[in-house]
Amino acid sequence: MELQLETPVAKRKMARKTRVYATGTLFLLPAFAVFLIFLWVPIFKGISYSFYNVDFVSGNTFVGWDNYKEVLSNPDLYTAIKNTLVYMGLAVVIGFWVPIAMAISVSVLKRFQSVARIIGYLPSIIPAIVLYGMWQWFYDPVGPINSFLNFIGLPSFDFYSKEHAVFSLIILETWQNFGSATLIYIAGLAAIPKDLYEAAELDGAGVWARIRYVTLPSLKGLILLLLVLQLIATSQAFQSQLLMFGGGPDNATLTYLLLTTREAFTYINFGNASAMGSLMFAFLVIFTVVTLKLRRGGDET
Amino acid sequence: MKTTQERDLMSRYDFRKPGVRAVYGIMVVCIVLISLSMLYPFVNTFLNSLKSTKEFFAFPAPFFPSHWLWGNYKESLTYLNVGLHFKNTLLIFAGSALFSLTVLGLAAFGLAHLRVPFKKWVALYFLSTLLIPSASYLIPNFLNLKNLGLLNTYWAYWLPSGANAFFLLLLRNFFEGIHKELFESARIDGASELRSFLGIAVPLSAPILVTLLLLGFSSIWNDFYWSSLVMQEDKLPIAGAIYTKIIYAGSTINWNVRFAILSMTLLPPLFVFLFFQKYIISGLSVGAVKG
Repeated sequence: MELQLETPVAKRKMARKTRVYATGTLFLLPAFAVFLIFLWVPIFKGISYSFYNVDFVSGNTFVGWDNYKEVLSNPDLYTAIKNTLVYMGLAVVIGFWVPIAMAISVSVLKRFQSVARIIGYLPSIIPAIVLYGMWQWFYDPVGPINSFLNFIGLPSFDFYSKEHAVFSLIILETWQNFGSATLIYIAGLAAIPKDLYEAAELDGAGVWARIRYVTLPSLKGLILLLLVLQLIATSQAFQSQLLMFGGGPDNATLTYLLLTTREAFTYINFGNASAMGSLMFAFLVIFTVVTLKLRRGGDET
Repeated sequence: MKTTQERDLMSRYDFRKPGVRAVYGIMVVCIVLISLSMLYPFVNTFLNSLKSTKEFFAFPAPFFPSHWLWGNYKESLTYLNVGLHFKNTLLIFAGSALFSLTVLGLAAFGLAHLRVPFKKWVALYFLSTLLIPSASYLIPNFLNLKNLGLLNTYWAYWLPSGANAFFLLLLRNFFEGIHKELFESARIDGASELRSFLGIAVPLSAPILVTLLLLGFSSIWNDFYWSSLVMQEDKLPIAGAIYTKIIYAGSTINWNVRFAILSMTLLPPLFVFLFFQKYIISGLSVGAVKG
């Protein structure tokens, strides 16, 4: 075989092969460069900046683990971590089951199914900035919700107080996001074979039993996937906290990422902010790997 | 999708039981109430934008304004040059769409149908970025753009838009679904790879391209925080401009004027959605995975 390499046919073949490879490479080159400059460089720079004191005027100086030490000794960090975890947990407890219930309900509607789907999706198309503008007013002490409460003789509810701020946020986020999750669940529901329901019914299972033993187990994979995605998304939340409450009152809505952006753009301490970013990166990568492992392990059993 | 008379979770026999019917009735009422709560903010925002300040704070507030004060819209324009920021948004969107779809389309085609050295590793190079949370490199990303001198230019949007692994994944999967035979016969007929990309792959992928355009539109329309960092004053897209000038915490601009601006921002995506509703809802099942 090796001898054949010397023949003119093989040479031409080699030339053709490199030419074919060259075309493919050319197609990929622009994307390769763009990914390098705008994704991989920032990702690695983020890690390296976390060991530097970033200064645009007099240049960066290497400071070792100092940024990490400073970040970890900041008491606000622990408030922010606690707030983020509470927010993630409450978002699951209050918001996660809503789209599942909604999807099952809509799927058994006899009429107006598509109308319900479109209406449910409407909040998702509101630009976030408009959404917060609207809800600032709804939650206002003299806004429509409190006017209504006063109207039926109840005392006003302070949506902006320290205790209630997180709830106010979660209600508005659930309201905005559940439509798109509902659509995904509806697609999942449509994939469940109908004879399963028929068989269950013939075996004497009522509607609840069918939901419990047929519908929910069939959706298990999807539910788990959306749960992981929601946890990842809520762990990075900061925009609504920033706009509705500015992190307050008294740091009650200060999340991890809000603290990171505050370090960067309020205190202009990019080294600390990069250290916080790297910590989060490490944590989320570990979290993702663990859940992937767990899912794979779960599938095998 | 479900127009057939085929049975679903519930059968006709279930509806004969009074208990089931009662629960079903309650459920329908709940859905109607939820639907109303979804529609209320839209209608309320629009109607409030036409009220006078006095009527706005009246108690109990009237649902409809007694006079439709279109002047609020005129007044809102003194706070914000809406036309300029609309134009910026569209410019950012157009450039990003053109650049990202070209770069990613070529790459996706290469990964799907061309011979590429170390293809597995190259694919990993692109797609592993999906696993890295974007929040963790928010700050270095900003510093990177600053170092490159791209801040406050449209290039700060256009160029990074090509680094979108999610779009790349969707495009590659779509291209892989096109039969290889089509490209092979084009090759035999002497067409170059670029020619088969432009003449075969692109026209066949119209549905996924529309979905990606819509996703891109909504992300640019939505983004207020990043744009407020990257762009300044007259270059800001609409969401960023509203954030820095109208809705910031402690804003003193009259509510009815604020709502006029919000309504103007609300309507374009609403129309886009209602027009392209079919594409969006079907695209969502693929788009959903991004989270």
